[in-house]
Amino acid sequence: MSSSVFSLATQSATLKTGILQDIHSTSGGRGHERLLLGSRVALAVGFGSLLIIMALAGLDALRVLQNFRTSEAAIRRQFLFRNHVLNDIRSQIYLSGTYVRDYLLEPESERADAYRASLQQVRRQMDAALESYAGQLNPEEGLHYKALKTELGQYWDILDPIFKWNAAERRKSGYDFLRDEVFPRRQNMLALADRAAALNEQQLNAANDQVVGLLAEFETRVGVTLVVALALGLGMAAFSMRRILRLEDQAHAQYLEVAEARGQLKDLSTRLVQAQETERRALSRELHDEVGQSLSAVLIELRNLSSGLGARADEQTRSQVEVIKGLVESTVRVVRNMALLLRPSMLDDLGLVPALRWQAREVSKRTSMDVSVAAETHSDDYPDAYKTCIYRVVQEALNNCSRHSQANTVRVRVQEEPGRLTLSVQDDGKGFDFKENRGMGLLGIQERVASLGGACQVHSVPGGGTLLNVELPFRKGETNGNTNTRQEDPYPVG
Amino acid sequence: METPTRDRKIRILLADDHTVVRRGLRLLLEGQPEFSVVAEAADGKQAVDAGEASKPDVVVLDIAMPNLNGIEATQRILSVAPNTSIVILSMHADEGYVLRALKAGAKGYLLKDSAEGDLIEAIKSVTRGKTFFSPEITKMLAEDYVREIRARGIEDSYELLTPREREILQLLAEGKSNKDIATLLNLSLYTVETHRRNLQDKLNLHSFAELILYAVRKGVIS
Repeated sequence: MSSSVFSLATQSATLKTGILQDIHSTSGGRGHERLLLGSRVALAVGFGSLLIIMALAGLDALRVLQNFRTSEAAIRRQFLFRNHVLNDIRSQIYLSGTYVRDYLLEPESERADAYRASLQQVRRQMDAALESYAGQLNPEEGLHYKALKTELGQYWDILDPIFKWNAAERRKSGYDFLRDEVFPRRQNMLALADRAAALNEQQLNAANDQVVGLLAEFETRVGVTLVVALALGLGMAAFSMRRILRLEDQAHAQYLEVAEARGQLKDLSTRLVQAQETERRALSRELHDEVGQSLSAVLIELRNLSSGLGARADEQTRSQVEVIKGLVESTVRVVRNMALLLRPSMLDDLGLVPALRWQAREVSKRTSMDVSVAAETHSDDYPDAYKTCIYRVVQEALNNCSRHSQANTVRVRVQEEPGRLTLSVQDDGKGFDFKENRGMGLLGIQERVASLGGACQVHSVPGGGTLLNVELPFRKGETNGNTNTRQEDPYPVG
Repeated sequence: METPTRDRKIRILLADDHTVVRRGLRLLLEGQPEFSVVAEAADGKQAVDAGEASKPDVVVLDIAMPNLNGIEATQRILSVAPNTSIVILSMHADEGYVLRALKAGAKGYLLKDSAEGDLIEAIKSVTRGKTFFSPEITKMLAEDYVREIRARGIEDSYELLTPREREILQLLAEGKSNKDIATLLNLSLYTVETHRRNLQDKLNLHSFAELILYAVRKGVIS
């Protein structure tokens, strides 16, 4: 017996160590919080800057594209406008030449005047075209423009005297004038206009080149942005991956720790239950066999004493012996009840079902409830853990019934089915609300059942009685006997 | 059953693992001139060996003994010495134990703390072929029976028995054989067997041990 006391002490030591471990793991939790906070800041900064870079790059690209589009449109517009003006000038030069010729060669003065007016109009138009062209010039073009303008001015200056000519003069020197003055000048002007046109075209090309350069620059910028974003993204991915992996590792380690702790607790509680049971059995046996037997011997000796005294003894001695006998008898009863309370010897001597029937009779005697036991088992000789578990569960359930349920009858049913042992305890009491009322008794039942890998359920409705169902996994090989007997109450009174 | 003659003492084997108890019981039994304690045993195995060797009339067996408990020892002794009557000594006033002892073939069942008052009468009863239970046991079994009947509000199946069946139940419970009963009641053996089968069916009893226990519970015998 002393050895089991010692083992109990060892178990409480392990319990203490377990608590110490718990304290340590809470201080580890603070480090975990710090890590989490650091990760959050890093992730926010990293992903934030990545997003900002991407947004800036996108805005930049949009701006560049817009610039590109507007400058391209402007270039085209400018080109077309100048082209148009130059073409105008060119056609007006031709037209003016024609008018000059018609004017010079027209013998009729009235019509010559009309030609002169037309010529004046062409000159005005040409001047206007030149004016508008002047507004669009860059320095390089200015030279050509000036040359063209000078040439035109000279042209009109040459023409000026002929307007004063009369018909005779026109007829006399008109043709020569045309040939010597007008046509060469006209050729000159046309050449100048062509040069301007060529320049215009050249400028268009230059502008195009500028746009292409802009595009190339834009390309480079996009490339750089892409590389930076990619690098940053990779860095972020690597960082967050490492963090996540670390967190995962930590979570896993913690899970393992918790699982181990839970396992240890379960193991511990199982061992505690076992130790308690062993202790109780040892005490019960000790009381029953040693103390009880010794008291029985005392009773027998007393009987022998009183018959040995015979008629010689006086009345006082005889009554003293009787008093001692009474005392010993009541002590025997007390000791026996204590022993049975600790652990009924029926459980070990007779097996589960007889022990349950005994318990049912005892409870029926003690309380106002009628407890009946029905069993469909193949053997009474279940492994000790199962016998004890079911017996104690029934004990606890009957305890609850008698204390809280105000039941009149309780039906206990044990059944052996393939692969499992089932137990049900049904009362017709007032029931209870399971959510509000989960006493220590039920917890103890759950603990015991769980330690054998079983499950238990309680169905209770206020006013509708309570049903406790327990299911223990049980393999056939664990039984010793296999006699397959249906154990009804051996003395059904009905 | 062999009945000891007047000049022949009742030969007793005493088996208990407690020396003090054994000594006390021996003193008690040897106070009776017609008793003779022929052997003692300190555990179940010794009891079986001594039973086989000395073929006593009565074996007084403690139920809780090392090596072999009293119930198993009962079965083995009866298999080697079938004419022996067995009286069980037990600390338990529980019908589970009583039934187990009866099924093993014991004729008497005594509570240990009242043994000194009842043992002599018990030994005398079983040698006459009768069963014997401590009065406390009889009282308790009968009380349980009445309580169960009342609590469950069910009909007492004893009421279903005919007067003849009740008579036969009592005689059977007292230890009489079918043949004895046939002679006593002046009936044919076949009739007695039929009555017995009917009454067992009515009471839902499956063995002779259950029949005896029922009779005790019902107060038919004491």
